[in-house]
Amino acid sequence: MAHLTRFGDRRGSIAAAVTVLLLLLGGGLVAKALTRPEAPAQPPAAEAVAPTTAPPVAPQATTPTTRPGAGPAKPSSASSPDFGPIMEPSPPVSLDIPSIGVGTKGIVDLALDKDGKLQAPTDFAKAGWYAAGPTPGEFGPAVIGAHVDSKSGPAVFYRLGALRKGAQVSVHRKDGSTARFVVDRVARYSKADFPTAMVYGDTKGRAELRLITCGGAFDHATGHYVDNIVAFAHLTS
Amino acid sequence: MRTTSKIAAVALGTTALVPFLGAGVAQAADGSTMATLRPVALNGVPANGTAMVTVTGNRINVTMAASGLLPDNPHAAHIHFGASARHECPTASDDTSGDGTLNTTEGGPAYGDIVVSLTKTGDTSPKSGLAVDRFDTAPGGKIQYERGSINVSSDVAQAIVDGKSVVVVHGVDHNNDGKYDGNTKSDLDPSLPTEATDPAICGVLAAAPAGGMDTGAGGTSDSSTGMLALGGGLLLAAAGTGTFTARKARNRA
Repeated sequence: MAHLTRFGDRRGSIAAAVTVLLLLLGGGLVAKALTRPEAPAQPPAAEAVAPTTAPPVAPQATTPTTRPGAGPAKPSSASSPDFGPIMEPSPPVSLDIPSIGVGTKGIVDLALDKDGKLQAPTDFAKAGWYAAGPTPGEFGPAVIGAHVDSKSGPAVFYRLGALRKGAQVSVHRKDGSTARFVVDRVARYSKADFPTAMVYGDTKGRAELRLITCGGAFDHATGHYVDNIVAFAHLTS
Repeated sequence: MRTTSKIAAVALGTTALVPFLGAGVAQAADGSTMATLRPVALNGVPANGTAMVTVTGNRINVTMAASGLLPDNPHAAHIHFGASARHECPTASDDTSGDGTLNTTEGGPAYGDIVVSLTKTGDTSPKSGLAVDRFDTAPGGKIQYERGSINVSSDVAQAIVDGKSVVVVHGVDHNNDGKYDGNTKSDLDPSLPTEATDPAICGVLAAAPAGGMDTGAGGTSDSSTGMLALGGGLLLAAAGTGTFTARKARNRA
């Protein structure tokens, strides 16, 4: 500042001081914005309808095809379905998804809140497993959820929206075994119109996995994202 | 006079029907439920499984997978419910006989009566509860069961959706000799040994989670764009005041 007073012009020195201040503030903000992570990847929004690729189940002839409300009341005979690979129950201990850089240890148990909604892990650095449902590898949809971000930056499932069909997902289990899944599809659903039956319902003879995080716009009023991103995967071995 | 009374009768009839129609609509329950099947207390069967029941009105679709059961023997499987039952799987304290095992009757206070028989063919009502020739025989100890469009009453449909029904797969080889035998007769059918009907694995059909999850705090949502714009604007302003300062300095020089 000393060399500025040499000019003897108060307006000049004030302008110089303001310049320095603006440079510091502006530069700081730009630097912060640039070093801050990009908004998380988003898969295309999906309609809440049945998946286009039906999971392979029993041959057509033996699959019960009677739809609700489509005629008289006669239970179809049970088919002799050929279920896919199914593992013994064992809770998950860690999760690896190499294609999106997820390698998380110490999976916590998740439960439902009083409204029946699945609670997220309290720890932004941990994934959680819906412990009242099947363990990953058992018949049915095992559910693992994790945060996309914390208040300050990316969390465990920050890149879930970038996951693609065919990607490998490995769940290491307490009994020492590993359940290996392959991703069938990744979709984004409005929380207001969440396809509960598709995500948590019958998996038609397959051991499947659901990976859930948040997506879409962030609603500052509620403090929550408006969408969920869901990855659907099935057990291969 | 006659017409009036006819109208009155019709009106009365309609009024009488309304509550039933209302009840029908109110009880048309829809929902996805799931039970993780685990060994019944005391009976020591090393088996596990999952049952999934989808309710649409008065119809249910059932898929079930289990493993670790006594192979090649019929395993009666049911959905149980009792309005006054505890809606859970029995525990060791339900062994009222004190014989160290649980039979189906002892489990009753926990899971109630049979409301659906998960037979492979034919009738699925409680009447088929012990139709041993129509249940899965668990080749290799495994059951892979899928059956659609089973009719249930509105009460049962509602109980399932509400998470109050219980899936039980029966058949326990207590003495590990590969078949159902022994001197103790079944509490349900004295022509069968108790091994054929004792509960092996059990799970409460719980409603699937409601809706999605709140899994983000917004730290990476798009507010960094605003920060970039503000920072850029300040830098631009700095360029302006900087030019002014420089010009002043030059004028003085």
